[in-house]
Amino acid sequence: MKNAERKKLEEERERLLNELKRSNKELEQFAYIASHDLQEPLRMVSSYVQLLGHRYKGRLDKDADEFIGYAVNGTAHMQLLLNDLLAYSRVGTRNEPYKLIDLKSAFDKALINLKVETDGTRAEITHETFPVIYADEVQMVQVFQNLLSNAMKFCKTDTPLINVSSEMKDDEWVVRVKDNGIGIDPKYFDRIFQIFKRLHSREEYQGTGIGLAICKKIIDRHKGRIWVESGYGKGATFCFTIPVKRQGPAVGDLGPGGINGAGI
Amino acid sequence: MNTYTSRAIEVLLVEDNPGDVRLMQEALKDSKVCNNLHVVYDGEEAMSFLRCQDKYSSGVPEPDLIMLDLNLPKKDGREVLEDIKNDPALKHIPVVVITTSSAEEDILKSYNLHANCYVTKPVNLDQFIRVVHAIEDFWFTIVKLPRP
Repeated sequence: MKNAERKKLEEERERLLNELKRSNKELEQFAYIASHDLQEPLRMVSSYVQLLGHRYKGRLDKDADEFIGYAVNGTAHMQLLLNDLLAYSRVGTRNEPYKLIDLKSAFDKALINLKVETDGTRAEITHETFPVIYADEVQMVQVFQNLLSNAMKFCKTDTPLINVSSEMKDDEWVVRVKDNGIGIDPKYFDRIFQIFKRLHSREEYQGTGIGLAICKKIIDRHKGRIWVESGYGKGATFCFTIPVKRQGPAVGDLGPGGINGAGI
Repeated sequence: MNTYTSRAIEVLLVEDNPGDVRLMQEALKDSKVCNNLHVVYDGEEAMSFLRCQDKYSSGVPEPDLIMLDLNLPKKDGREVLEDIKNDPALKHIPVVVITTSSAEEDILKSYNLHANCYVTKPVNLDQFIRVVHAIEDFWFTIVKLPRP
């Protein structure tokens, strides 16, 4: 009898797990397909509104030119949103096994990708030592790129000063990206990590509000946490953690227990 | 430079969306190179055109270039690409995949099926026209094509 009950519970657990997996997969696919298939009709609207604009600008009336302008801007914005939705849904559909990586190389690659911004803002980006971790390197580059890009974007008039540091705490690495920017009011600390949530108008600071949502999804996938420490006008420090022990599938395993927090 | 001044360039556009067909026509309208644009609306029709079968049995010119959309009714663009590149009579014709998709798997799959190049249709009209002109310039004036 007892065995029968246990078996039943196990079966129920198995069923729920499968259900959860299926529903997660469906969600990922939904976002992916939606953004892909929506591109096509959007491109039609966008192209033909632009064609109208090119061919008939100044030949209808002032209102018509203004309306066409709004329609063109709207399609351009929707295009950005769709691309970002696609990027967000792709975070979860990547199946790259985690490898042992030097976080420094992810940071360096992010800096190369951000050359235009760093040159443009004359940001001073300094760093301390980086750990070696089990992770998806492409996604770690993305995390650094988004955090550094935000640090440069949401800055006051003076030069952005950014410092990246890391330390081992208990069984995880804590990485900090500290800036001297405009800072964030604590009441918005959760909101900023949600997809398409923004604190400023697009005229003030451009962007769709995807960067931090992608960071959060990546860090969640790596079984870490991400948060911000800040106050309005006091700069912000974005922190994320990555477990020292390997989580999830990996290649290039060093053996049981993962690695022993080797700093570089 | 242009070895084809004596005759028109034959282009086969495989595209199911009439809006895209019209855009392509608009973009090619002020082309420097004389071109004949033939349009087919699905993958099966594309193969009929290329093999001069069914409604094309009375004969159509062999295209110098094929512009192929990936998502097509009936026979999908990937299958069309595979058929072309597996057919000794057709595989020399360059195929430019031109599609909305920027998905890495579509890009890789197309090159694995021997697409000659892969282009994503830009949303912005000016960029679209620029891309079509660039394709034209490259394939019709810079590249040496096999003489049929």
